[in-house]
Amino acid sequence: MPPPADHHVKGETVAYNKPIPEPDPLGKPFWDGAKAGKLMLPRCVDCSRVHWYPRHICPSCHSDNIEWVEGSGEGYIHTFAVQHRAMGGWAEEAPFVTAYIDLVEGDRMFTVLRGVDPKNPESIKIGAKVRVEFEAATDDVSIAFWRVAE
Amino acid sequence: MPGELSRAAAIVGAAEANEIGYPKTPKTALQLHMEAIKNVSNQTGIPISRINGVFGAGWSSQIAEHLGLHPDYIDTTAVGGCSFEMHVHHALAAIHAGIIDVALVTHGENGYSQRATGGRGTGRARGGDPWDPGSLYSNPYGVTGAPSNYSHALTRHMHRYGTTPEDFAEIAVVTRQWATLNPRAVMHSKETHPEGGPITVETVQKSRIISWPLTLLHVCLVTDYGGAILITSPEIAKSLPTKPVWIAGAGENMSHSNMLEMGDFTATSAAASAATAYRMAGMGPEDMEMAMIYDSFTVTAGITAEMLGLAPKGEGFTLWKSGKAAPGGSFPINTNGGGLSFNHSGMYGMQLLVEAYRQLSGTAEDGVNGIAGKQTKARSCVVNGTGGSLSTTGTLVLVAD
Repeated sequence: MPPPADHHVKGETVAYNKPIPEPDPLGKPFWDGAKAGKLMLPRCVDCSRVHWYPRHICPSCHSDNIEWVEGSGEGYIHTFAVQHRAMGGWAEEAPFVTAYIDLVEGDRMFTVLRGVDPKNPESIKIGAKVRVEFEAATDDVSIAFWRVAE
Repeated sequence: MPGELSRAAAIVGAAEANEIGYPKTPKTALQLHMEAIKNVSNQTGIPISRINGVFGAGWSSQIAEHLGLHPDYIDTTAVGGCSFEMHVHHALAAIHAGIIDVALVTHGENGYSQRATGGRGTGRARGGDPWDPGSLYSNPYGVTGAPSNYSHALTRHMHRYGTTPEDFAEIAVVTRQWATLNPRAVMHSKETHPEGGPITVETVQKSRIISWPLTLLHVCLVTDYGGAILITSPEIAKSLPTKPVWIAGAGENMSHSNMLEMGDFTATSAAASAATAYRMAGMGPEDMEMAMIYDSFTVTAGITAEMLGLAPKGEGFTLWKSGKAAPGGSFPINTNGGGLSFNHSGMYGMQLLVEAYRQLSGTAEDGVNGIAGKQTKARSCVVNGTGGSLSTTGTLVLVAD
């Protein structure tokens, strides 16, 4: 199980206060995996390519033969930005760093990057290795975040 | 050799709503549409009842209904700010095919007024689909719209080409110079806005940080706008009191919808849409004498200049830094003051078209929309709209009569 959906404010536990996705049928294996702390990725059985986000047909070869595989949970920073303005729960965390992650298996995910200093963007390196982690937003929904691994 | 569609139709007039920018009393999108349509009808002498094709972004049937029209061609392509360049492409084909001979392309958007109306009067449904890929896989991470997305492209451009935010700030500085020649520009002067008038690279870099590496003055305005153009067959165009501006080339393309699918963060589909437009025109970037380039952000304009073949990859910003793009320069760009300093209602493609028409018809310095120094000598203009998150593009090659 991912760590619980709380952070501690003055000794009190508060609920996850950022946007919580509403899992859809197409992505169910991903969301089930996230809940179990696994990065599940859709892969085309015919051309073996992993794609992100989940599709009804493979965006590379257009096969409708898609399977789900457990990813390594590793990737690299493709590009990033530091968000100084945000809404709702994210506003309390600003500035924070968003990034596109090149997955080791192929294709790309978007995330909020952990283990970096948003006040010093020059210290964040494109190409740096990152590892996935999950945070439980509710009992049913866990969200993937990525942390710099080196 | 120009393609079959080249010059098969002309833009014969371009007009705006009576009040644009930051109106004192709130406007609705529909009002902004209607004022612009009425004005372009008056300008050209083409009665509204004569329009037989209606092109708008997302709600053409409501616009046509409001006008009491029953058009033979209805196109409501809405793929972001480049939709209007695509509408021109589609209208060109429809006129060439003989389906219609008078096309209205129209835009109304109360980007500013909707703050006062609580989101009413936009002409759009509110809220998104929770099962949209963006809702599921992007929105949980605190991004809040265009600035928070486009910044990722600038970071990658800096990494790949060794460029700096200061390089891109040059685009904002030069674009502001053009705004000082346009009395209708929000940032024209201290009279139009407390922060208006000339700026420097230092002003841009010291403005409030929005989404690193983008500071506030790298980001476009949020205003009200209404604009409309009329496109006709060559026969009608030659019979009117206004000057025709010929559609020599048109093209469109896209690389993605969600930025998750953007393969190369330093490139857009403008390379493809421009190739199509240049091929149709039988012209190339070397034949262009000015450009109107969607500048939602400085980075959008810089990268697009590269995609249009106006500068080598990684060096788009040099057009501005060298002064070529500035008033009096050898290659004017964004002569209305741009989305950065003139007006940006949310979708900016119509503003590009209206200014390109004015420049190529010799009406850019009418005292209302331009003062001495704004009218260029250009006889050809490449126009490029960009929509979404550097997602979609429409490119036009327009030439003077």
